[in-house]
Amino acid sequence: MSGAAPAVGVIGGGPWGLALARATRRAKRAEVVLYTRRHDEAAHPGIRIVRTLAPLAETPLIIMAVPSPVVRLVARDLGDHVSGRHMVVHGIRGLSDDDLLTVSQILRDETPVRRLGALGGPVQAPELHSGRASAMIVGSAFPDVTATVAATLDGPWLQVKTTRDLLGLEWAAALMGCLSVGLGYAQVREDVSPGLLAALLSGAVDEAVGIARVAGADASTLYGLGGYGDLLASMALPGRPEVVVGRALARGATPAEAQREAELRVEAVDLVPRVARFAQRHGVAHGFFAALAEILSGAASPEAAVAKLFRVARPD
Amino acid sequence: MGNASRAAPIFRFNEQRAHLVRQTVSRVCDATTDPLHALNDAAYHETRRLDGADGARDQERLDAWKTLARRLGRMSTRERQAALRELVTEYAEDIAGNFDPRVYSFSTRLVPTLVTGLLNPRRLVRSVSDPASLFSFDLLREKVRVEGDIEKLRRLADIGTLVFTPTHSSNLDSIVFGFALEASGLPPSTYGAGKNLFTNPLLSFFMENLGAYRVDRRLRHHVYKDCLKAYSTVLIENGFHSLFFPGGTRSRSGMVERHLKLGLVGTGIEAYNRTLLAGRERKVFFVPSTINYLITLEAETLIADFLEAEGRARYIIVDDESSRLARVAAFARKLLGLDGSVVIRFGRPLDPFGATVDDAGTSHDRRGRSIDSTSYCRDVHGAFALDEARNGQYTRELGQAIARQYGRETVLMSTHIVAAAAFSLLRQATDTQDLFAMLRVRDEVVDRDSLAREVNRVRDQVIDLEKSGEARLHHGLHDISGGDMVAQAMRAFSGYHTTSVMQPRADGVALHDPKLLLYYQNRLTSLGLGYDPDRAAGRSAS
Repeated sequence: MSGAAPAVGVIGGGPWGLALARATRRAKRAEVVLYTRRHDEAAHPGIRIVRTLAPLAETPLIIMAVPSPVVRLVARDLGDHVSGRHMVVHGIRGLSDDDLLTVSQILRDETPVRRLGALGGPVQAPELHSGRASAMIVGSAFPDVTATVAATLDGPWLQVKTTRDLLGLEWAAALMGCLSVGLGYAQVREDVSPGLLAALLSGAVDEAVGIARVAGADASTLYGLGGYGDLLASMALPGRPEVVVGRALARGATPAEAQREAELRVEAVDLVPRVARFAQRHGVAHGFFAALAEILSGAASPEAAVAKLFRVARPD
Repeated sequence: MGNASRAAPIFRFNEQRAHLVRQTVSRVCDATTDPLHALNDAAYHETRRLDGADGARDQERLDAWKTLARRLGRMSTRERQAALRELVTEYAEDIAGNFDPRVYSFSTRLVPTLVTGLLNPRRLVRSVSDPASLFSFDLLREKVRVEGDIEKLRRLADIGTLVFTPTHSSNLDSIVFGFALEASGLPPSTYGAGKNLFTNPLLSFFMENLGAYRVDRRLRHHVYKDCLKAYSTVLIENGFHSLFFPGGTRSRSGMVERHLKLGLVGTGIEAYNRTLLAGRERKVFFVPSTINYLITLEAETLIADFLEAEGRARYIIVDDESSRLARVAAFARKLLGLDGSVVIRFGRPLDPFGATVDDAGTSHDRRGRSIDSTSYCRDVHGAFALDEARNGQYTRELGQAIARQYGRETVLMSTHIVAAAAFSLLRQATDTQDLFAMLRVRDEVVDRDSLAREVNRVRDQVIDLEKSGEARLHHGLHDISGGDMVAQAMRAFSGYHTTSVMQPRADGVALHDPKLLLYYQNRLTSLGLGYDPDRAAGRSAS
């Protein structure tokens, strides 16, 4: 078998999982096994659809793309079929519970797999789907994981960067999702000039860095492609679900209405207040996240929310 | 000693010594892809180290290094390889230890006699009528408690190679740990000991003959470090149970180690990986352990070094209490006069990837599933591969797992709890977070009732952590009063240290030596209790 492209397993039949499966198939011409409960086989040429996780025992690289609330359940099930030989990387923007556990920490708890990684950065599902050039970053403390993922996905249309700071990348992906909600919110306000918006975002990124560092993340990861790079892409993506949610909220929609408008589950909605509480517990600055939490809870009027958000840009 | 111990590989060490050295040499030479670079690095570090040295031998070595450095550029590849082999052979011969079963047998019989003599010289005279009692470990067992799942370790010793990784706070640790192995019927282990210890007349004789290999910490270049690692790997691969202190050096502050030096830990992983590549799997089990003293032989020197440098500590101390026979004797007399004054705890054994193992040596993941530990050494195509970068990450994760166990398996004794309480009162009295301001305060007198209450408070915190398996309180401390614990600790402190730690006064208790209080209270910091010098200095504890 040595030398042949190893088969790749993808868990999750949503738009993101499907896009990753297609991108893998396109880049490698390797066998791709997609675990999903949604799609019929005919819709995905070259991708083998499976309904249980057992066949993924034969795919040494597994990419996980399921909603964060079901990560633990899926991981526990997956743990029955994999061993130390497997590499599992995920593309999930989420931090669980009030302790803000990363997905890789959950995978470590629930499976025997040690070679874990995460995907992050600016790339979006439609780009992967259509093969439009973009960039992503893969993080893992295991160099063989980043090398394998890069060899699997890198190509003329997708640049794959690597980092060893897995935890930093997971925090960056989750927090930039939150910041993108704030970005969407500020973008549609007429009283927010581009200069003020830039000040808001750079202040918010600094705040995110401070919070992530408490958890052990490396600041440079958040200032890199997985953090700032991701946020910059959001500025040009009015259709990104987090941005859609932010815009809807700014127009006076309730959080539930905003989520419906985005059409996809946005992890940040649930995450923002937990990040604010986490930061408070650890005594680090969190004005932006606190203001965003108020917006999401509907407790603040748009004017009061903007005033609070911009205190972040103009700290006392 | 049981037959199982006598069957330990170390009893065949001398037969295998030449083979082990040869394996070490060829492994280092084969792995060195650029002998010119390796020799240049060695020459640079050695000439720097030896420059200005006084001794004739050092001067001779300096000249030899300078000559080699001058010649290197003109040497052919073959000549460089030969020079490398010669150097590596010299180092490997120097590192490799010796094991004399007669010395082992003698020393295991000598220890009880020595201790009996120290504790009760009259008993030596009385025992003329019963010579067997002289060589009994019974007396020592009362003083030194060995805890942990020893049965399981005995079983694992038959299945694979044990790598003991204890905490390190005293130069007596290897002797004390050796006793714990002997008393538990566990096989003796090879261990790396600082070469400086071989100049200590008390320790060198035993170390020379009991399987210790020499670690010369003055040599900082890669060739030497590679030799050391290769030798340790070869030992473990060949089934020699091993002992090393992942803290690298004795804890200067008294804190339980949180940052481990992983070089030798990594050799256990590589050894296991190599047995798989060779098609003869030999399991390796790491045994995180703690060595807990009611008082520490070198406490005064160590804490002074910690405070003096706060980051620029002397790595090798050659003039501390352990080099003075009278101090060692006074220490032994003091410590062994108190019941349960030394506790060695063997923690839960781990596989090379940090997973727990059962009695049969099978690894389990965090969900309790049986796992195939060989799978961690396979590459993406399913073949066994020796991947240094991958193993490096396994080593870091194993180091974290060992450090976590240190916290859980540390036994907190009356001296630690009382010191933490006293230091807390001292902090309150000085109303500062500045460590050095606190340490300048001498003879602060604290009210006995306040001290007893604070002792109870700290003890209750420890008990809470103990309930969740995060801490261990020394036996007998759960139900005694705070005042009794203070009295117990003061008995332990008195009479050994050259300065009094705490002194009774009419109006309370004088905190006479805040440095030693800091040293003993630091044992609690890994639990998040007491004053944490690392946190106060803004250093990460993670």
